[in-house]
Amino acid sequence: MAYKPQYGPGSSTIAENRRKQMDPSKKLEKVRDISDEDIVLLMGHKAPGAAYPSAHPPLTEGEPDCPVRKMVVPIDGAKAGDRIRFIQFADSMYNAPCHPYQRSYVESYRYRGVDPGTLSGRQIVECRERDLEKIAKELVATELFDPARTGIRGSTVHGHSLRLAEDGMMFDMMQRCILDKKAGMVKYVKNQNSEPLDKEVKVGKMMDDKWLKAHSTIFHSLVGVPFRSDQEYVEYVQRVHSLRTKYGFMPEE
Amino acid sequence: MTDAIYPQVRIVSERLLNPETVERVMNLIVATEGVRRAILNGPRIPPTITYGPAKGQPNPHEMRKIIKIGDQNVELQVHVGTILLELENKDVIPAIRAACEAGFRDLPWYLQEGRFMKTSPSLVDYAKYGPDADKAIIGMADPGSKSGPVIIQGIK
Repeated sequence: MAYKPQYGPGSSTIAENRRKQMDPSKKLEKVRDISDEDIVLLMGHKAPGAAYPSAHPPLTEGEPDCPVRKMVVPIDGAKAGDRIRFIQFADSMYNAPCHPYQRSYVESYRYRGVDPGTLSGRQIVECRERDLEKIAKELVATELFDPARTGIRGSTVHGHSLRLAEDGMMFDMMQRCILDKKAGMVKYVKNQNSEPLDKEVKVGKMMDDKWLKAHSTIFHSLVGVPFRSDQEYVEYVQRVHSLRTKYGFMPEE
Repeated sequence: MTDAIYPQVRIVSERLLNPETVERVMNLIVATEGVRRAILNGPRIPPTITYGPAKGQPNPHEMRKIIKIGDQNVELQVHVGTILLELENKDVIPAIRAACEAGFRDLPWYLQEGRFMKTSPSLVDYAKYGPDADKAIIGMADPGSKSGPVIIQGIK
């Protein structure tokens, strides 16, 4: 029988959203438009339109005779010898559409040649530069991103577990993005490394609370779906915890 | 150091506060005439960028503003989320509540009574600040800081 991944337990909307995001057969809902140039500006690794600097010669110029290299099809950036670059996100606990662990799962299931790294309040994904641009565009333009509750932050990422500001924006020590109250639009004035941008990058309107609650993948007992309300999830986590604890004592289950 | 005879309260809002809200609330609180000391707490907003390729560049931030409390200018260095107060006596607490009610308007908040400031210097305080540190500040802010406390006069 062919293996069918289940992606995760749970019967709540949170669990459903998690499974939907992780499952590569399901298309992520596109929520906003962002241009290639804007993504390059946000990441700040090179000037828009500049050639990709390389870290090594293209793979076509002499590869050692290696069976593994023949077996693995390289991604475009690896073929061209691009540098490895990153994009990093901070997600608010207050119903952000994605969160660090979830992001790593999503990227591992959906993309090839990526190196996601999860930390408590932020998540970094590394990849060859030209492939990263494509991935970053998808991560920002789809339902995985909310301009107010998700931040593109290379350093000084503090904000995940803090209360929101009065206008609903997640705290950012460097205020990389500001809310244009008239237009209701969030715009980045600094790139992810806090360097001021020559031109503002608009990342769309902040989503309303109803949309966020329906699309969130974070349990939150006060503003969202409480973890304990999802019995199936609780049972699963308790089972994992129990087996891990008993492991050293030869579990017989 | 705080003295055990003075009651303390902590005011926490549901959201981190804009400087205008802090100014409004603090002026109403100060006008109750029962506050001995106050601390505005929250995540720090540094004046310059602290890390990365832009390190050392100025860090313009909407929440780092100079507000006026009483007749004194106070430069906010944090995005205020919690207000700690040391009061003259417990009788002022209803007036503080009323001030918060008026100042926060629709924003949810709560007030707790308890002990939120240090009552005696710890070993770490001694190691960090030495024997001659200003005991009035230990447990509230860094006694080594160049910017001292703001003293608001003429409210009584």
